[in-house]
Amino acid sequence: MEEGAGEAPGLGRSAASKDFRFYHMDLYDSEDRLQIFPEESTRMRREGVQAEMTHEPMRGGVKGKAPGDLGEEVDELVHPYGLEDDHELGDEFIEENTPRIEVSEYPSYMMMGSEQRDWRLTGETAQGEDLGFMGWGSAGQCQDLREAYRYSHGRASEEYECYVIPEEEDEEEVADIFCVTCKTPIRASEKDQDEHKQHEVTPLSKALESAKDEIHKNMYKLEKQIIEMENFASHLEEVFITVEENFGRQEQNFESHYNEILETLAQKYEEKIQALGEKKKEKLEALYGQLVSCGENLDTCKELMETIEEMCHEEKVDFIKDAVAMADRLGKFLKTKTDVEISAQPDFEDQTLDFSDVEELMGSINTIPAPSAPVINPQAPNSATGSSVRVCWSLYSDDTVESYQLSYRPVQDGSPGKEQTEVTMTIKETYCSVTNLLPNTQYEFWVTAQNRAGLSPTSERAVYMTAPCPPIIKSKEIRSCEEAALISWESGNLNPVDSYTVELTQAEMPGASGVTESVVGIPTCECLVQLQPRQSYTIYVRALNVGGPSARSEPATVHTTGSYFPLDKHTCHPRLTVSEDGLTVVRSERRGPPREPVPSDAHFTRCAAVMGNLIPVRGRHYWEVEVDECLDYTVGVAFENVPRQEDLGANRLSWCMRHTFASSRHKYEFLHKTTTPDIRITVPPKKIGILLDYENAKLSFFNVDISQHLYTFSCQLPQFVHPCFSLEKPGCLKIHNGISMPKHITFY
Amino acid sequence: MALKQVSSSKCFGGLQKVFEHDSVELKCKMKFAVYLPPKAETGKCPVLYWLSGLTCTEQNFISKSGYHQAASEHGLVVIAPDTSPRGCNIKGEEDSWDFGTGAGFYVDATEDLWKTNYRMYSYVTKELPQLVNDNFPVDPQRMSVFGHSMGGHGALICALKNPGKYKSVSAFAPLCNPVLCRWGKKAFTGYLGTDQSKWEAYDATCLVKSYPDSQLDILIDQGKEDEFLSDGQLLPDNFIAACTEKKIPVVFRLQEGYDHSYYFIATFIADHIRHHAKYLNA
Repeated sequence: MEEGAGEAPGLGRSAASKDFRFYHMDLYDSEDRLQIFPEESTRMRREGVQAEMTHEPMRGGVKGKAPGDLGEEVDELVHPYGLEDDHELGDEFIEENTPRIEVSEYPSYMMMGSEQRDWRLTGETAQGEDLGFMGWGSAGQCQDLREAYRYSHGRASEEYECYVIPEEEDEEEVADIFCVTCKTPIRASEKDQDEHKQHEVTPLSKALESAKDEIHKNMYKLEKQIIEMENFASHLEEVFITVEENFGRQEQNFESHYNEILETLAQKYEEKIQALGEKKKEKLEALYGQLVSCGENLDTCKELMETIEEMCHEEKVDFIKDAVAMADRLGKFLKTKTDVEISAQPDFEDQTLDFSDVEELMGSINTIPAPSAPVINPQAPNSATGSSVRVCWSLYSDDTVESYQLSYRPVQDGSPGKEQTEVTMTIKETYCSVTNLLPNTQYEFWVTAQNRAGLSPTSERAVYMTAPCPPIIKSKEIRSCEEAALISWESGNLNPVDSYTVELTQAEMPGASGVTESVVGIPTCECLVQLQPRQSYTIYVRALNVGGPSARSEPATVHTTGSYFPLDKHTCHPRLTVSEDGLTVVRSERRGPPREPVPSDAHFTRCAAVMGNLIPVRGRHYWEVEVDECLDYTVGVAFENVPRQEDLGANRLSWCMRHTFASSRHKYEFLHKTTTPDIRITVPPKKIGILLDYENAKLSFFNVDISQHLYTFSCQLPQFVHPCFSLEKPGCLKIHNGISMPKHITFY
Repeated sequence: MALKQVSSSKCFGGLQKVFEHDSVELKCKMKFAVYLPPKAETGKCPVLYWLSGLTCTEQNFISKSGYHQAASEHGLVVIAPDTSPRGCNIKGEEDSWDFGTGAGFYVDATEDLWKTNYRMYSYVTKELPQLVNDNFPVDPQRMSVFGHSMGGHGALICALKNPGKYKSVSAFAPLCNPVLCRWGKKAFTGYLGTDQSKWEAYDATCLVKSYPDSQLDILIDQGKEDEFLSDGQLLPDNFIAACTEKKIPVVFRLQEGYDHSYYFIATFIADHIRHHAKYLNA
């Protein structure tokens, strides 16, 4: 069979080639052309192309030399498209379209073009037949066929190249212009003559140019077509293989089924024969036994008869005596029932043959086998939500499945005893969105397939995870400056998540891009994001695990105007209270016991102070504090680890301005390590501006209302500092932050 | 009013020049120093007047204070005039260092002997600014004044007597209350006569009391080890008290360890230039 398949295409091929040859001969009667080697065809084709371009009338059998320059130009065109390579032509049978399409562009060659196509159709038909055969062949054979097919087509194209040769024209006189009407190059001198007189002419070079463009375009189209055809061919090849495999499998399937049925039948036959024999033996035995006992009875009867006859010849006395005994014996004998019923019937009892299982087997030949175990896919990224996962699995391509049973249960994390409920559902598709799950939780999934023939084995178990809950942004703890914001959030999930994503969008404003930027892969519940100055941003956070991202958190808004910090209640001295907005510090008149401090080691114990949480960004930060002229207060900055039991400014970890008002005199001190310069200020500030400048290692104080510079510390700040505020007497400080820096500040 | 350039030296990208001219107010040849910052090549700059202390000429400040870098950076034209008329052949002119030559005290003298030449107040507030505005690329609307010692007194009175004329004022160890100190009494008696009520028109502390409510930010640096402070010549406390009462903004910085010299000035000159730049470049 395989050999037959090998031959069949061969025949088809040779037929096609032959036709082609004859076609040539018919046209040109130039048999010697057929012998042209493929190597030559390039030149030929080139010349052929040239001939098409020049539109010389075709004269069969006339061989001429194309003008060298044009030939070269065409060569240049051909080369980049790889058409020159004969091997390629041979391999990529599609390329044989090249000349055909080129030809069809020019009406004078239309005829040949279409005839060429006709041939191609024949060739394809032959190929189609080949394919029909190949269905029975092996994959290797298929390859052979393909190659054979290519070869024949390659040949065809080569020969086609040959056939164009005659078109190429000898030009005795050099044409220098091009008659558009006639589509013919003519000599300028001819222009005024006869038929071209009224015709539109263009310079030859221009005509050449446009023809070249045309060729370029066509080559590009062809290029594309080649690629498409190649793809299609390889697709076909795949289909071949698939058909091969499928049919082979079905064959095996049939074989095993029929074998099974035959075996079953044989087995049944054996069983029946055996049962029949046994029955026969049993019956014969019974009959024999009956025959024997019947004979015995007969003997007894005969003996009795003889005895009675003898008795009749005896004496009366003896007769009487014996007759009585005989009568007893006879009576006894006659009492014993003589069994004359035949114990076994000679005829065959009606035995019905049960072929139901065979019928079932027969029936199952045309139905499908039970499916094999489906393959459950690992979880696809970003396919889960907080309450659902999308589970996917696949079946073997030749399995027929009516439905699947998908089961799952939460993965237990080593807490035994708690019975985890298992859920099973029936699904038609090979995927399922399982809903109503717990967020950020692992579930184990497995699936079985079923059809009429039964259930498949269970698939492997795959662990899927639901996406986490959205985090909760701690809006009140957001800190920002002109270049950045520090966002922190609560996870919102009991189990750890993989990471967090911060998304930020510039608030809708003229000129705002509206683009959402994301910071991904944040391992902790805090992120410092770089921002543009003086903008408003809406910020969202998502939590991520293998299942995907959570929904967005509730939005938070950040304004990058000035520096914004909330007061840190953990540092707040018991005598102080911080307002709800976190920006007003109050020390009340009440002399009662101090309020219960927030349980923390961080609060100040000596001076009634509180710290602000400034964003840890080295740059310039500015804030203002509204004070009462007569209030005793201290404002400044301190390192986070400033001793809580010391006054602000009393150590090398803090820099402060302290105001004391005593006997109607204002005293202003600028304290660091308990020392202060001697500075007198004539106008008590009502609002103090504080400029912290990491870059220049400076801390400056201003009287905001009159833009007056009060003092500047030069302070080395290797670590980040925080604003601090202290009230030595009852009163309040109002902090203004998130404000832009006044211009006069820029001088310091 | 032709200007004669006496010298010109490049300094921090700008030019430190000295000019000589015939003063109308003082009726003598006067020299003054001009610093033109690099910015003056391309546009008009604010101008800052420096008034020197006793015995000084235009040279002391420009050669000792090291103000050029700050002035160059802030783009300020700095004018430093001489401290008195010179060579007027007035009897007693050269007799003492704290009166006459080098000690004009920035007043317009009324006493016969001095009233023709010793008109330093008019010179520094009128003639010189006019001359500068006419000859240099400066913005007449933006001017400030500062000075040292007697010049600090001059700066304060110029600002206090002309509300709004000067954008800002500052001083190094100024004579804050000259009517109450020996130098002041001697000079005012000599130039203005014995009627002390006339003196108050040239006394910063007295002038504060009648200063209208106009914004003026005053910066004063004072060396704590200044011998003239302990000698009672400078009396800053009086001035501070008056300003506190009148709510005139002053930041007075008593600088630990510094004396009355140009070393002290050089230490804080940048602060003062910035103080003025803040208002002049606002």
